[in-house]
Amino acid sequence: MASYDLPKISNRRRLINVITARVIGAGGVAVIAAIVLIMGYLIWVILPIFAPTSIELLDEFDQLPEDVLAIGSDDSFETVTLLRSNGQVEFRDPKTFEIANQAQVSSTPWRDVSLVFPTTDTYAVRDVEDEVRFFRVSHQVRYIDDQRELEQRVEPVFLGTSYQLPQDTTNFDTYRSDEDLRIVARRSDGSLLLVEFEEADDDFELEFPDENTIKGPTGHFRTLFGPRGRFLYNFNVETGEYQLILVPSVLRPRVVQTASFAIDGSAPTAIEPLLGRHSILVGHESGEVHQWTLSPSEQGSILKTIRVMSFGASIAILASEQRRKGFVAVDAQHNAHLAYTTSDRMLVSIDLGAIPKVLAFTPRADRLVTYSGAQIRTYAIENEHPEISWGSLWGKVWYEGYEEPVFSWQSSSADTDFEPKFSLTPLLFGTLKAAFYAMIFAIPIAVAGAVYTANFMSPGMRAWVKPGIEIMAALPTVILGFLAGLWLAPIVEDHLTSVLLCVIVLPLGMLLFATLWSRMPSKILSACDGWSAAIAIPVLVFLIWLTLEFDQPLANLFFNGDAKSWMYEKLGLEYDQRNALIIGIAMGLAVIPTIFSIAEDAIYGVPQHLVHGSLALGATRWQTLVRVVLLTASPGIFSAIMIGFGRAVGETMIVLMATGNTPIMDLNLFQGMRTFAANIAVEMPESEANSTHFRILFLMALVLFLITFMFNTVAEIVRNRLRTRYGNL
Amino acid sequence: MATSDAVTQDLSIQRQSLLAWWRSGDPWIWLTSAAVAASVAAVLGLIGLLAVNGLAHFWPSQVMAIEYERFGTKTKIFGELSERESISRRQFMEANPAFEEQVPETVERWLIKTGNRQANPPDFRWLFAHDVIDSSVPDDVIVVERTEWGAAYGLLVNIEQDSETVDTRNLWEEFQARIARTAAIRDEIDALQEGSINGINYELESIRLEKRRRQLDGNHEVSDLEAEEEVLRSEYAIIENQVFKLTEQLERDTAGLALADGRVIQIPIRAIIQAWMPNNMSMWGKLWLYFKNLWNFLTDDPREANTEGGVYPALFGTVLMVLLMSALVTPFGVIAALYLREYAKQGPLVQLIRIAVNNLAGVPSIVYGVFGLGFFVYFIGGSIDDLFFPEAKPAPTFGTPGLIWASLTLALLTVPVVIVSTEEGLTRIPRAVREGSLALGATKAETIFKVILPMASPSILTGMILAVARAAGEVAPLMLVGVVKLAPTLPIDGNFPYLHLERKFMHLGFHIYDVGFQSPNVDAARPLVFATALLLVLIIIVLNFTAITLRNRLEARYRVSIN
Repeated sequence: MASYDLPKISNRRRLINVITARVIGAGGVAVIAAIVLIMGYLIWVILPIFAPTSIELLDEFDQLPEDVLAIGSDDSFETVTLLRSNGQVEFRDPKTFEIANQAQVSSTPWRDVSLVFPTTDTYAVRDVEDEVRFFRVSHQVRYIDDQRELEQRVEPVFLGTSYQLPQDTTNFDTYRSDEDLRIVARRSDGSLLLVEFEEADDDFELEFPDENTIKGPTGHFRTLFGPRGRFLYNFNVETGEYQLILVPSVLRPRVVQTASFAIDGSAPTAIEPLLGRHSILVGHESGEVHQWTLSPSEQGSILKTIRVMSFGASIAILASEQRRKGFVAVDAQHNAHLAYTTSDRMLVSIDLGAIPKVLAFTPRADRLVTYSGAQIRTYAIENEHPEISWGSLWGKVWYEGYEEPVFSWQSSSADTDFEPKFSLTPLLFGTLKAAFYAMIFAIPIAVAGAVYTANFMSPGMRAWVKPGIEIMAALPTVILGFLAGLWLAPIVEDHLTSVLLCVIVLPLGMLLFATLWSRMPSKILSACDGWSAAIAIPVLVFLIWLTLEFDQPLANLFFNGDAKSWMYEKLGLEYDQRNALIIGIAMGLAVIPTIFSIAEDAIYGVPQHLVHGSLALGATRWQTLVRVVLLTASPGIFSAIMIGFGRAVGETMIVLMATGNTPIMDLNLFQGMRTFAANIAVEMPESEANSTHFRILFLMALVLFLITFMFNTVAEIVRNRLRTRYGNL
Repeated sequence: MATSDAVTQDLSIQRQSLLAWWRSGDPWIWLTSAAVAASVAAVLGLIGLLAVNGLAHFWPSQVMAIEYERFGTKTKIFGELSERESISRRQFMEANPAFEEQVPETVERWLIKTGNRQANPPDFRWLFAHDVIDSSVPDDVIVVERTEWGAAYGLLVNIEQDSETVDTRNLWEEFQARIARTAAIRDEIDALQEGSINGINYELESIRLEKRRRQLDGNHEVSDLEAEEEVLRSEYAIIENQVFKLTEQLERDTAGLALADGRVIQIPIRAIIQAWMPNNMSMWGKLWLYFKNLWNFLTDDPREANTEGGVYPALFGTVLMVLLMSALVTPFGVIAALYLREYAKQGPLVQLIRIAVNNLAGVPSIVYGVFGLGFFVYFIGGSIDDLFFPEAKPAPTFGTPGLIWASLTLALLTVPVVIVSTEEGLTRIPRAVREGSLALGATKAETIFKVILPMASPSILTGMILAVARAAGEVAPLMLVGVVKLAPTLPIDGNFPYLHLERKFMHLGFHIYDVGFQSPNVDAARPLVFATALLLVLIIIVLNFTAITLRNRLEARYRVSIN
């Protein structure tokens, strides 16, 4: 082989060449990596939701006081508070359990201590002389010369005033809101003393109470306030019998339910309310924990079992978290089981070594403190997102305060004891419903339009129509949403009959016009061939105008004068002004250009010789279209519809502006919905970074991503195949 | 297709018997043509609707004096007729269940914009035509556009200076002169505010941050900064005093406006932007005012919770964000396309990537918004704050939605558009061109820069313009990564570094959403929303048409050079 002397390339040119290759290579890979990153990042944010829960022993301390009544802690677990029966409050460092600070709150020894429901920092203590006092434990962070310091304080509330309970009080409970303070004391004869102080500011003295005594059963009972202090749970801890008492005011209490927590005659072994006290957890010898919830019924709210979780051995003690609906159950073999109610999850178990006397979560539920007489153990818990499980995301869940299991999305509320409802099903339903109605509107128009434009339209007109409709694809959806919500929705509401009848009137009117037009002289027919779409515009506008104009007579004729009330009475359909019909039209308009453009390309690309062959064999234009052209182009039309569907699924602004955004599951054409996209747009800006809610919104984004990606990929593959097939025909 | 074929055409257009015509299926073809007609009508109708509603708002329409009687009380009002419609008896009865008299089949009702929101609320009211006793178009009614409380209608009765009536022969001219005077003073105050006061505040804030930075570094020597601060504060006091004096001068004049019911209200002239006599204007005068209003709409700041005034900050924000985005997206998109087409080894992997890139164009924009918020704002922005702006903490600098994150998010959103379009252009360039260039001794880089890229430039440009058009109309992702309803400052100002990438900004699309759906006075805001929507649509249509035209032109040019 002869060798050639290649012209010499200067070093500079060579360098530029190499650098260019490197830069483009790196840049190209980076851009593609960035695109892959999107999905990777979404998954990375979502993954912690499904991370397993862990619990492990952190520390163990002996030789502590033996008279601890209650244990508390600050948010970040920098102090543990021990309330002792000698009237002392001790603040200890959880790392060493050395005393950091202490306060002698009273000189009289205490009989029992409890948190005032629903506060997390105010305690009510009863001393041996049955006097009840209130104080608050506060942890304040201060910066002294940029040094963080935690200061613990015990502050009396109600100016240190107290309330004298009867001498034979067996147990008591307290409730406090901004308006009132309530105390219930159960006396040894079974009667309940109800006390109410109006106004419950910190600097308000406890005087002039309303008092009332009601009779009750005797036995070993415990009495607790329920939600908003308007309920009382009075239950026998030995047999499980209970009374549910409604207390609108202490002067008018009313027993609404008398029943038993026992199952098959076996008495409960542990009873503890859940956060917010909408539910009571009842542990049994069988190792089952039943969740009883206030559930609406004909007699008002009554307790009902909504969930049963099973833990193996007999339940000895239960404790609930302070900010979520989670709890820990310790069984007779001193195994502690962490669990979560809403998601029905048993998370993790650990052997505690002994059954503790006191069991307390820290406020963030990232530590568990157990106290078993002189010994304290601390456990570290990793449990960020227990409220999520496959079942709670997609299935029906029986939430507190509901009559039955439901699909529900309700991510936040003003109440601190609110149970978040994270069911994706209603949103998925809304997403598909919106897309479905949009497609019903868009497919006939877009596909028929594509058929006409590709097959029958004169080239002169096609040159204008195609880009014209494609411009519509670039129309900002915020504008479509605005027009749909503020302009179209009221019009449709006022002219509902005509709008509904348009579905029939427009095609029939068009056919009638076409029939008349076909009687025109051949000359005119020839001249106007390919331009019938232009002729149809005024006809269409006229027909729409005509139908709208005769709304009232039509309504009188078909719907007794008013379509809305007719539908409500005859079909039970409710009407929202911003509903799926509006979405169907507005979003339909948004996806028409997408479907039209791709479908038109597919139909236009059908090889000519097929058409000519068919026509030459004597088929009419319509027969050729239906049996040859559409059949050949059907994969292309299918992929156009797929892509249109993908766009409808992810559309945000139209849905946001033209529906009421209520997450209901109802196929009714005249009601709104909430879609994934709109939900993200509404809730994302308010969502706290890295919270469960935040991650679920990311999960929604991922679901949207996957749905559209899947549809687009299928469409793309179909189109590629079609191209090859056209090539082979 | 079939249309180009003369033979088929002739065959099909013979007039047939009705039955044959039905059998041939031609009626169904008419139905398909109706579908096209519906689409075209929808496009034209939408744009027409926006144009009519948006543009009509700026026209100085006539003001009527109307006297009507409702439930036995007579009321006189001035107002513009903003809508007229007939409603059916049923609708009327639904709205007025207490009405006892016989109602005709249809009832005409008028929506009157009465203005004078504080003296005479509400500023929009529905009247039934049959309630109207008398309506006229008085010549001397004036319309006053104000900075607060919306428009006012009335008769000019006097002008007061320091609470004493001014004696003048031509009240109207005197009025206009005094409006001009306050306008001049207002401009002066604005100049001081925007120039000096904002600048000094900005510097003071920088000094505060510098102090904090030194503190964090363990350097407690800040006397030089304090001296600087002292100087600035004294400067500030001087300017503040100037502003104060000017503001006092503003308060001097008031104008007495007689309402239709005879009450006279005193309007401070400082609150008046302009005034005109709509019923006593020539066509040219009206046209002049119309274009002036239109211009003000484009160049003024919004007032009254965005329901009045202009959209300048939103327009500015949209354009700036889109420019930044295209500066980011074009190079990356082109590089990625060059890599995929010219450098990468063609194979199933590249084919897979190509499909993926194609699909990404169809991923919902809100997903990009979520990604932008999580990745750009919280992750990257948060890290930047930790590394470079510890002194501003706990207030975030870049760790919060802002202009740069919005641009980056939209760049990511539109990069597939640029890639796809550029690749298409690269594919069209014949292999022979590349080989020719290489054969003449050019390196690969030279071939790309001097031959390939210029030839692909129409497609690159098209891709870019399409990207810009898409970005300009996107709202959903922006709501998560940087748009606000009211930004206190523009992202560009006279303070170093002039372009503030971390600031939040306003956007036309979001403006439409916000004003149309979140504003308390929808009736008053609606015309402005229409106008804003029209502006946005026009921008996008112009961009799209530019893309199409440019592509055609450049294609023609390079086609010639290939031959």
